[in-house]
Amino acid sequence: MEREKLLFFSGKLILYFILFIGVIIMVTPFIWMFSTSFGTVETAFALPPRWTPDLTNLNAYQQLLKSIPFLKYMWNSFKIASIITVGQLFTCSTAAYAFARIYFKGRNFLFLLLLSSMMIPTQVTVVPLFILMRRINLYNTHFSLILPVLVSAFGVFLLRQFFLTLPAELEDAAKIDGASHFIIYSRIILPLSGPALSALAILCFLYFWNELFRPLIFLSSLDNFTIPVGLMLLRGQYDIGSPTRLMAAVTLAVIPVLIVFLFAQRYIIEGITLTGIK
Amino acid sequence: MHIKTERNRIRRGETLTGYLFILPTMLGFSLFIIGPMIAAIILGFYYWDLFTPPKFVGLDNYKALLKDIHVFTVYKNTLIFVSGVVPLNVGGGLLIALALNRKFNVMFKYILRTTYFFPMVTSVTAIALVWNLLLNTDLGIVNYYFGKIGIPRINWLLSSRLAKVSVILIDVWKNIGFYMIVCLAGLQNIPRLFYEAAEIDGASGWQRFLYITFPLLSPTIFFLIIIGLINAFQIFDMSFVLTRGGPGDATRTVVMYIYETGFRFFNMGYATTVSLSLFILIATLTLVQFKISKGWVFYR
Repeated sequence: MEREKLLFFSGKLILYFILFIGVIIMVTPFIWMFSTSFGTVETAFALPPRWTPDLTNLNAYQQLLKSIPFLKYMWNSFKIASIITVGQLFTCSTAAYAFARIYFKGRNFLFLLLLSSMMIPTQVTVVPLFILMRRINLYNTHFSLILPVLVSAFGVFLLRQFFLTLPAELEDAAKIDGASHFIIYSRIILPLSGPALSALAILCFLYFWNELFRPLIFLSSLDNFTIPVGLMLLRGQYDIGSPTRLMAAVTLAVIPVLIVFLFAQRYIIEGITLTGIK
Repeated sequence: MHIKTERNRIRRGETLTGYLFILPTMLGFSLFIIGPMIAAIILGFYYWDLFTPPKFVGLDNYKALLKDIHVFTVYKNTLIFVSGVVPLNVGGGLLIALALNRKFNVMFKYILRTTYFFPMVTSVTAIALVWNLLLNTDLGIVNYYFGKIGIPRINWLLSSRLAKVSVILIDVWKNIGFYMIVCLAGLQNIPRLFYEAAEIDGASGWQRFLYITFPLLSPTIFFLIIIGLINAFQIFDMSFVLTRGGPGDATRTVVMYIYETGFRFFNMGYATTVSLSLFILIATLTLVQFKISKGWVFYR
């Protein structure tokens, strides 16, 4: 009995240890990024690395803002991601409501069609969209990034999954009183869907804040860039950019995400599980 | 009679309202997904560099695709990434979830879950730039600390074999948290009762995993494999930023090749042909997965 207990205990200790090593591997790159951004060019590659950032040394940040309009890029990313998020919240919630609550002809077919479109990679549609945007003179505008993604099959799916979990009795009373679908959608379903809407909003915002592929293709002038494209610009053609300046930019890109994440982790997890489990 | 027409009227009204509610989504869907998809299929039969008028070339793009040595290389690389990334993410995520799904200190559990999950929400560009410096052969801290425990210098990004390994490992580092979270949610959905019954019957830990956990978790694992495959076939940012597809072509992926063909060399027709081949591959694999799944996925 004693031996078994000991074995169990040491097994648990080993598990703790492995998980702890994992934590270090996950966290170290971020700590290094942060402390390097407050260092000097000499300390950036010092080995062993300097882990304590000198928070008064803002040289890298000053250099960064002098060399490229990074704050503008942050604003561009924020603007683009926000507009897309608001748009998706509207289009996805109405469609999801219809697919969950209204009985109309062709409903299942259209829903399946929408879902299967999730298999179409961005890369297939991006060339025709690029040609289209040039045709209608939207190339190199933020609008060319926003317009095609104001709808989302994933978002419709996520919200529909949530709406289906809301009990139908909620609306029955309203229906008997003659409430239309517009009333039920806006007065009953939406107010109850805070968690799901937040989840979609956060996932959507983060996705477009981080996106590289389309901005790289649709934007050409320096003023219009978003954060990820700006990061690529900083890195330069031959990796000769200053590491401290680069890490300052990366830190500015990651910190807002970290703040959102710490406050909204619950919603992100809820949103992911909503689409993953059912 | 009167009731029947009344009901029809309501039903028609329902259908109309339904269409109205899905109108914005369907409009965007036709204009920005279905339309471009059809355009892509048509474009595949043309040569077009954007500056001269498009020229109809029949099946030339498809013939070129089969002979293109680069296509072979980028598909090979992508398949290597897929076969590394998907099992490591799904298997590793499951293992971490199983470890976390125990009676741990609540704070410890929260810290673990948060730190494992956080890289998932950051941008690939940002973290690939960080790792690019961390993995530097002479100046990177990875080799420095490896040296401390007696591991000789590793040429992480400069050897064509190891560069592939690096891309896979960093992808797993970034995404494993997502797989862990989904598995955790799946595990928490399994009723405690099943385990209690198994324990009374004297089932070992392994038996409990094999006969309770795995079957009840199989829909979750299936979902993760599908998502993982679709994502891994589209790897772009990671090799584009971490290694620029190099050394040589060692980490060039299909999507990177599409990007370069279309937007560096402006060969629009050929770029869409390559992208269509990727779509067909993904769609076929997904369908095959669904077929295979009937044999091992257990729906309660």
